[in-house]
Amino acid sequence: MNFLFAVLGQTIRNLFRTWNSQFLTLVTITLSVLIFAFFSLIYTNLLNVGKQLGDDLRLIAYLDEEPVPALQEEYRRKILKFDAVDKIVFVSSKEAYQRFKKQLGTDRDVLTDMPQDFLPPSIEVYPVRSLDSLTRIKRFSDYLQTLPGVLKVQYGREWIERFYSFVQLMRIVVILSGTLLIMTTTFTVAHTIRLTLVSRAEELELLRLLGASGTYIRMPYFLEGGLQGLMGSACGLAALYILFNWIELQFTGSAMFGIFPFTFFPLPIIGTIIGLSTLLCAAGSFSSTRKIVQV
Amino acid sequence: MTESRRENRVMVELIKVGRFYPPDIEALTEVSLSVSRGEMLFLTGKSGAGKTTLLRLLCKIELPDKGLVEIDGMDLGKLSRHKIQQLRRRIGMAYQDFKLLPERTVARNIALAMEVTYQKKSFIRRQTKTLLDRLGLKSKVHARTADLSRGEQQRVSIARALANNPDLILADEPTGNLDAESTCRVMELFDEHRRRGATILIATHDSSIYADTDYRVLELKDGRIVDTKENHGTTGEQE
Ligand SMILES: Nc1ncnc2c1ncn2[C@@H]1O[C@H](COP(=O)(O)OP(=O)(O)O)[C@@H](O)[C@H]1O
Ligand SMILES: [Mg+2]
Repeated sequence: MNFLFAVLGQTIRNLFRTWNSQFLTLVTITLSVLIFAFFSLIYTNLLNVGKQLGDDLRLIAYLDEEPVPALQEEYRRKILKFDAVDKIVFVSSKEAYQRFKKQLGTDRDVLTDMPQDFLPPSIEVYPVRSLDSLTRIKRFSDYLQTLPGVLKVQYGREWIERFYSFVQLMRIVVILSGTLLIMTTTFTVAHTIRLTLVSRAEELELLRLLGASGTYIRMPYFLEGGLQGLMGSACGLAALYILFNWIELQFTGSAMFGIFPFTFFPLPIIGTIIGLSTLLCAAGSFSSTRKIVQV
Repeated sequence: MTESRRENRVMVELIKVGRFYPPDIEALTEVSLSVSRGEMLFLTGKSGAGKTTLLRLLCKIELPDKGLVEIDGMDLGKLSRHKIQQLRRRIGMAYQDFKLLPERTVARNIALAMEVTYQKKSFIRRQTKTLLDRLGLKSKVHARTADLSRGEQQRVSIARALANNPDLILADEPTGNLDAESTCRVMELFDEHRRRGATILIATHDSSIYADTDYRVLELKDGRIVDTKENHGTTGEQE
């Protein structure tokens, strides 16, 4: 208990004594968390968009002949063997004809001379709607192509591939900004601590002479780092939240937000970002005080 | 282990200690010395005789180049970092150059020593007040130590050395900047601590503070002990 009071008192006094460099560190952490969180937010929302893709995620395999029920079962089994799917729909020649006719609307006269089975039967496969299945759709298509009786496989290729490469790009940006975040925060925190260590050399020397334990000397710096991580990341996320709300306000009523509702981080993610930043800064400052406890 | 420690009547033991500084300064040469628990001992000698160096060896601020230094039966050269820290918490040293933090208040400077040993807040407050009262610094509690006179700073550093009621008190020229009245107050305090059982080493060239006492006086000259004046043989035997 006395230990706690002594260490907390020391920490608070340290913070007040060097508030200007503390403030600079705080701003640095806030900015890096803001940048990282901004890209992450875009990324996670893209993932959501991926999940909301509708029929574009549908694969159509055209067959050479109408599959009998037993064969349909066989196809279903083989498809499920490759991957979990939302649903599998068999479309017979006749159904295809009816659909086509409906699509033509008033122009349906052109079909009068055509036989009702001039369109090939097909299997429509709806993969589970997730980004993962998006990345696997090419392989899925290749697999379907190998099934006996399949003439041709179709899917919304170009659109999906472009979207996918954009998501890939965002992933790289997030990883890079995350690395940058880790580097800048640990560096600035360690740097400020090292500066304060120099300015407090006299006091540290005295503490050593008085027989202060390593914990007593280092704990204030550990707490100081942790506190900066906590406040910096909280400020960064708060800034992003304000930005997010502002952007949302600018776009209310626009079509894009109607289709893809943009959402902020859920609480667990916020907690994780703050927790990790706190830990990172605390660890950074703790390790930079390793040398000062030598007797 | 605790058994033998309790029976250990010797608090400070130096055996043939040597300390050299480059290029060829022999700060201490072949110094052997034994101080009993509860003894008060004066180290005298001209400036540059090696008094400060000897005191600094006792709390391992410096290491001897030769010989052995033992405190309370423990060889300082063999102690772990942790043990050294624990030992230093039992030693109160008033440095010749005070080593006060100039931008902090008097109270803060004294409290620091007690926070390091994890004393209760109430104890710290009480102890600081008592010591400052006794040393005539009552009105300076909240003054920055940088604003104090040399004599006042000296008394603050003494107060800090005594704050934890240490087992071993090392005072380096504690009265160098004090007037007669303050000197008297300081010596009274030291005496009280000795009666409590503390071992006290005082380095000084102020003969007025040991002239009329019964305590042992050692004279250092060019790093060697040249004269032991055992006033009437009253030493640490009375505990
Ligand atoms: N760090 C040091 N480097 C070089 N010489 C030193 C150092 N410390 C002390 N000395 C020398 O050692 C001798 C003893 O010094 P000191 O113990 O301070 O004497 P005293 O305290 O008796 O005046 C002096 O000659 C001093 O110049
Ligand atoms: Mg000296």
